[in-house]
Amino acid sequence: MFAWLKGPGENFRRPLPDSTNYLSSYNSQGRLWRSLESSPTLALDEEASDPPAESNPESKENPLQSQVVSEDKLPPEDKQDLKPFPVNSDFTSQPVLSEELREEIYDRVVNNGKSVKIASAELSVDMSRVAAVVRLKTIEKDWVKKNKPLAKAYSKAILEMLPTTPLTKFPMRPKMHESINDLPVHPATTQQIFEPTSESRSFTRIDASKVFDPELLPADERISHPELIELERERRLGISQEERIMRQRERAKKELERRESKERRRDEIEEATLKRVLPAERGGNGGRWEWRFREISVQDAGKDGRAPGGVGWRYGIPHEDRKKGHVKIPTRV
Amino acid sequence: MVVRIRLARFGKRHAPFYNIVVAHARYVLADTPAQLFLCSLVTIIVNRTARNSKPIEVLGTYDPIPKQPPDGEGKPFKDIRLDSVRAKYWLGVGAQPSDPVWRLLSMIGLVEPRYRPGQQAKTAKSHAPSSDLREA
Repeated sequence: MFAWLKGPGENFRRPLPDSTNYLSSYNSQGRLWRSLESSPTLALDEEASDPPAESNPESKENPLQSQVVSEDKLPPEDKQDLKPFPVNSDFTSQPVLSEELREEIYDRVVNNGKSVKIASAELSVDMSRVAAVVRLKTIEKDWVKKNKPLAKAYSKAILEMLPTTPLTKFPMRPKMHESINDLPVHPATTQQIFEPTSESRSFTRIDASKVFDPELLPADERISHPELIELERERRLGISQEERIMRQRERAKKELERRESKERRRDEIEEATLKRVLPAERGGNGGRWEWRFREISVQDAGKDGRAPGGVGWRYGIPHEDRKKGHVKIPTRV
Repeated sequence: MVVRIRLARFGKRHAPFYNIVVAHARYVLADTPAQLFLCSLVTIIVNRTARNSKPIEVLGTYDPIPKQPPDGEGKPFKDIRLDSVRAKYWLGVGAQPSDPVWRLLSMIGLVEPRYRPGQQAKTAKSHAPSSDLREA
């Protein structure tokens, strides 16, 4: 054991900065596999040519420790370096968003007013992740404003140990963080159905969704970014780039208008059912608050008075806001 | 037997929240002359319904803690949700609102306003001796 601690194990006492330090990255002599694999001639070639898009610039900049390889630059982490469990070769640790990329996401959504969808498509980060980053960054900035202590050292240490997706500057294409247009698995689609149809009938994904569940949207509409599919379809049809950009802008504009009119309609309905009573109307002069009466229906509570749409505190149902295993953060906004 | 429209307190400590409910009222048990005589000696009040027991109907809610308006404009507001059609029905069949509920219902014109902020001082003055008695 002491031989290992003084030999190969010495690497883990002083871990490599900005790199994963998993057991499987080192051979039995305690040498980095990737530093052994990259021969000096290859390293020279790499320096001469442009860095490849998927390489991690941070790990390239850092000099190797003297005991491993002297005066050379580390090659980027490969598959071998991302396997934390030597026996489980199927497990690969996935990259997390780098601090700069998270800042960029917040900047695009909050400061530039881009929609979560567009920011997600541009940076190839899942929509729910973009939304989460925006929420957490908002809290972080609020804490900074309030002079609350942040766990910066912890965050730095963790980010140095994990593979991260870096932020690429403009001329380079953004590095893909994850697949963003996956079809979510709807519970209705997990069953196996044998649906007899005639050969002459065209059976599309729209029909397939109807077979699973009459209420289910077709697969093309359930994905997060249907507009990317449309763009790719147009590209394959050979439509010129200017035309495609114009069409996409038009679509985006239409979508925005649709959403705005929907919101306006919702506000109008809400305003119509709302009755405001100001203190002056009650004969008082300049009270502290107003009363807002919202019209509801007692029928919403259902026959047993327990339907989720009903108004009012429920009877016979314990309030489980302090119980374990319940989601306490709002799941709908 | 009287049916009342009253508030039922729910919510947490320091965070009250009320259901506006229709429930049977408390009443004095006196059906026979003998009971009436007994009531003159000892008041027997029968609580038909506990405060938070299941009511006849939940007409709505009253959140007495003022909320800031979401758009940041105007005064803070107290949120009241009410099925006014059902409230009208219950008033029509003789349900009696409690004082706080009377105040709320009068704001949307379902009952004649009784408890106006301007009137309170007047009524307090006129009933000054009786209030002194009560204090004593």
